[in-house]
Amino acid sequence: MALDQSVSRRRLLQLMGGAAAAGTLAACGGNGGSSSSGGQVKVIGAGSQEAGLRKALEEFKKANSDFDFNLSFSPADQLQTALRAQLAAGNAPDLHAVYPGNGSAMSMVQLSKANLLADLSDQAWTQKIPTGFKGAFQNDGKTFIFSPGTSVLGAIYNKKAFAAAGVEPPATWSELLTVCDKLKKKGIVPIALGAQTPWVTQLIDYALVPGTVYAKTPDFDDKMTAGNASFADSGWADAMDKYLELQKKGFFNDNPNGTTYEQATSMVGTGKAAMAVQVSAVLQAFRDAAPAPDDLGMFPFPATDVEADNWIPGGVVVGIALSAKSKKADQVRKFIEYCGRPETVNAWAEAVACVPLYSDGEAKVDPVLKPFLPYLEDDKAVPFMDQRWPNAEVQPTHFAVVQELLGGKTTVQNALKKMDEAYRKTA
Amino acid sequence: MTAITTAVGREAAKASRRRGGGIAPPWFFAAPALVVYALVMLYPSIAGAGSAFTDWSGVGEQRTFVGLENFKQLVRDDQALGALRNTLLLTVAIVVVQNGIGLLLALGVHTGIKSRMALRVIFFAPVVVSPVMVSFLWKYVYNPAPDAGLNAALDAIGLGALRQDWLGDPSLALWSVAFTVIWQCAGYSMVIFLAGLEGVPQELHESAMVDGAGTFARFRHITWPLLAPATTINVMLSTVGGLTLFTQIIAMTNGGPGYATDTLSTVLYKQAFVYGKFGYSTAVALVLAIFVAAVSFIQIGYLRSRETTA
Repeated sequence: MALDQSVSRRRLLQLMGGAAAAGTLAACGGNGGSSSSGGQVKVIGAGSQEAGLRKALEEFKKANSDFDFNLSFSPADQLQTALRAQLAAGNAPDLHAVYPGNGSAMSMVQLSKANLLADLSDQAWTQKIPTGFKGAFQNDGKTFIFSPGTSVLGAIYNKKAFAAAGVEPPATWSELLTVCDKLKKKGIVPIALGAQTPWVTQLIDYALVPGTVYAKTPDFDDKMTAGNASFADSGWADAMDKYLELQKKGFFNDNPNGTTYEQATSMVGTGKAAMAVQVSAVLQAFRDAAPAPDDLGMFPFPATDVEADNWIPGGVVVGIALSAKSKKADQVRKFIEYCGRPETVNAWAEAVACVPLYSDGEAKVDPVLKPFLPYLEDDKAVPFMDQRWPNAEVQPTHFAVVQELLGGKTTVQNALKKMDEAYRKTA
Repeated sequence: MTAITTAVGREAAKASRRRGGGIAPPWFFAAPALVVYALVMLYPSIAGAGSAFTDWSGVGEQRTFVGLENFKQLVRDDQALGALRNTLLLTVAIVVVQNGIGLLLALGVHTGIKSRMALRVIFFAPVVVSPVMVSFLWKYVYNPAPDAGLNAALDAIGLGALRQDWLGDPSLALWSVAFTVIWQCAGYSMVIFLAGLEGVPQELHESAMVDGAGTFARFRHITWPLLAPATTINVMLSTVGGLTLFTQIIAMTNGGPGYATDTLSTVLYKQAFVYGKFGYSTAVALVLAIFVAAVSFIQIGYLRSRETTA
């Protein structure tokens, strides 16, 4: 039907007017919606903090009827891209995830140096941050992030797989090799490694380095900062040699470089593999993959044959920060103050399987973390190594060289030299 | 045959002149589009290019003019040089194989076979799927487990010895990604070649057959020369696509294992968003843009010179 045959010019104008009016009404409706969401605090969190952050926000909203939020989460790899793009464009969320310390493009030091984070130092809870962890929260003496506590890194293991091979969690490196050997002979993959997912590549080094480096040289980071130490001439070489020894002995799944984190998680959950070296913050993902949550446990991953030297990595978990440009700073500050209350710290820490930053009385800790608590009490826990690296290039270089090592494309010395080169670059 | 080609060419040229005749529209008719183009394309590009001469991290206000330092760093950067090598290898593989397969598919579905329309749809179908979706699909196909994806298929047909860690082996990962791109885009090349084939006059083939020319001789002396415009477009598009390939690599390998599949596009992305070096990243982007433009101009100059009309 041709327009000029059936619709007069006047009718056409009427129709256009109607359409315009309908459009205006629709736009009004849209504005109404956005006006209601305009009062919301925009929050973007990291996937690993979802259980705790969501719970804290919901509890705070219940207690404060004028508070509302719009919450979304990103996996670790995408967080840097999406959030950095928003920060660069000046439209960052009011409250967002930030990694503690330094060493990544979304870390507290990097973002606070760019004046993108609000100073939280006037909040009461900041006085309770344990001295040893202040570097994760503070830059130039000012506190910029809140985090509920520390995550530990060790082996998440399938108890049924261990029982099937008749083995117990090992306490020394030699015992670990024996356990792996027995598991392999039983037809169970001893260690699931999803090295195609970049951040997973670093975890075995992180588990070994506290024993091979920090137990002997606790001030290794200070020496690195001063230029008096290097990765290549340190216990890092020993750790990487051990990493490769596990591969050469066939203790990893086939083709770790082609295997993802999700596949490795599933292997441990289902008992196809016996363990995976992981942070406790992802314990829930393993529990989701297992028939029953109690099938899984954790133990400190031993790095040496001297039990006293087997320190553990225990780092402050990803936190939250107030954007310096937030127009809802007052509301966000109140929420962060609420997060800093011991009961909120405890609840959040419990939800993400980490050890609370502080507590009134005895802290509630996930039972699987109990083997790690003596190390924390004895000051044998080392923050995740990247948190004290001076720029955002060392960590991805570490990811890449581990993949190259597993692919047989480089040597331990060349890998560590690349990390040293990245470390020496300016921040 | 040359006489026929020349005569038909003259007619085509006349028709072209007729189409170009008439009253030229006022230049300001183009003004709205030019304003939008300037705001959306030119201004951000020029403003962004300025960052290539600074040490800006990509966030915050702090930035210092560093002159040509980022470009000097680029020529010393092993990762960027490795990425350049990977980019060129990928581009050559994609241009040659994608267009070769596209041409074969076009010739195949340009025949009188009954299912030609259905086959055209099937071969073109991957093109309309999002590259991210295709990448995740092929990531599943490339699962290294012996009982999954391509490895399981190889095993099922008795070729278990050919099972590979398709994306995890540094020597193989680049070619696995290239294959995925070719699988998705060969149908696009096919459609362009098909359009070219539709324009080849049947009379030329008939007269050549009368002269005793065989199938290969007709392809070489009639079809291939007259497909030159389609070849120009296909080679241009696949070259630019290869040189700027990003989505499939980020989705399938993130540039790994190690740096084995990094391209210039993934390097500039990582420099900006992972390493926090936006200034350096922009320098890489600027060099890539100039490189792509230079290659395209050289290519188009050469390919246009060999074009002919029926």
